[in-house]
Amino acid sequence: MKRLWKIFKQGIINENPLLMLMIGLCSALAVTTSVSNGVGMGLAMTFVLLFSEIIISLFRKVIPSSARMPIFIIVIAAFTTIIDLVMKAYFPELSKSMGVFIPLIVVNCIIMGRVEAFASKEKVVDCVADALGMGLGYTWVLVGIAALRELLGNGTLAGVQVMPASFQPILFFILPPGGFLVFALFISLNIWLKGRMQKAEAKSAAKAEEVAA
Amino acid sequence: MMKDIVKLGLVLAAFAAAACVGLAFVNLATEAQIAVNAEKQLNESLSGLFSEAERFEDLSAELKSPDDGVKFEAAYLALRAGAPLGLAVKASGQSYGGPTTVLVGVGLDRKIVGVRVLDGKDTPGLGANAMNPTFFVDKSKKTTFPGQFAGKALSDPFEVKNDVIAITASTITSKAITKMIKVAADAGAVRLEASAQATQAPATGGM
Repeated sequence: MKRLWKIFKQGIINENPLLMLMIGLCSALAVTTSVSNGVGMGLAMTFVLLFSEIIISLFRKVIPSSARMPIFIIVIAAFTTIIDLVMKAYFPELSKSMGVFIPLIVVNCIIMGRVEAFASKEKVVDCVADALGMGLGYTWVLVGIAALRELLGNGTLAGVQVMPASFQPILFFILPPGGFLVFALFISLNIWLKGRMQKAEAKSAAKAEEVAA
Repeated sequence: MMKDIVKLGLVLAAFAAAACVGLAFVNLATEAQIAVNAEKQLNESLSGLFSEAERFEDLSAELKSPDDGVKFEAAYLALRAGAPLGLAVKASGQSYGGPTTVLVGVGLDRKIVGVRVLDGKDTPGLGANAMNPTFFVDKSKKTTFPGQFAGKALSDPFEVKNDVIAITASTITSKAITKMIKVAADAGAVRLEASAQATQAPATGGM
């Protein structure tokens, strides 16, 4: 259990796919203009990541290593198409506002990276923990970036007006340069968090040693 | 060596086949709902334009765009008691961030009944405000960008910053949508007159 928790935790801060591994950035910056987009993209991505990792981990012994890339792509593309169709059927508004970025999950490096580096070698339960951790790590960053950009750039949060009417939206934050700026702020926030966590861990480890001594 | 290639091919084929079967089931389960969604959205915007119409006749095959930059995707004739009320044209064209789709309603008096922007890929907060129902180009009258076209005569010049109010900092979007509306409404008006004459002809012939 402790081991699974450790795997799960990795994706959130220490090995956050966006802020530490820095993969899958293009779509992350493009969809984060509104909070609802961020939530939708995060969940869609987590779904595809979770099921692709499960399937590939289940069949890792029968996938020949020389044909693994096309097989990974088939599996990822199948789950991406499933989520695309489901969103079109049951969440048409969300699907419309995210447009082409849902089908583009197929080529998202985060999924390919995790499948290649993790799922093709590890047990299924570990893969579930990894996918959920990475998915959550991806989602919180998207929602955080989107919240800041939508609030400053449009005066709303998830489509609801929160800023006073006198607030003049700063369009810069909705446009791509604003995305890069907010993204950089999140990277520095994450490094700060990571540093603090490491310090706390070192402290508790030192304490444990003292007690043992 | 040959054996390896065959084996790899077979494994790959097995995965592809399994994925296809899975997708076929998902497609079967969602297909109907997706079609219903698309139809619902179209119906809502059609009856929003012509609230008095009893039924809509699909004229999509008959109406062709005279302009290369504007594509007509569908056209519907609004009918009440067998007589045409107006014509709605669904047109798409290139705007700032990608294709934008509008639905334009034109009436018998050669005036625009209303315009809906159905779909667009323009910048949120800028060009995408064409689709925002709470973004007003004229704040005192609370008219949205597509809203300002309602009741506009086709003989108007349709020039952005002259008789059309632009969305601030989105001149390209404003111009693109205005052009689509103009092309669609002109073609719609011509076709509408033809069907209005066709329904009147038997009546005059009987006198």
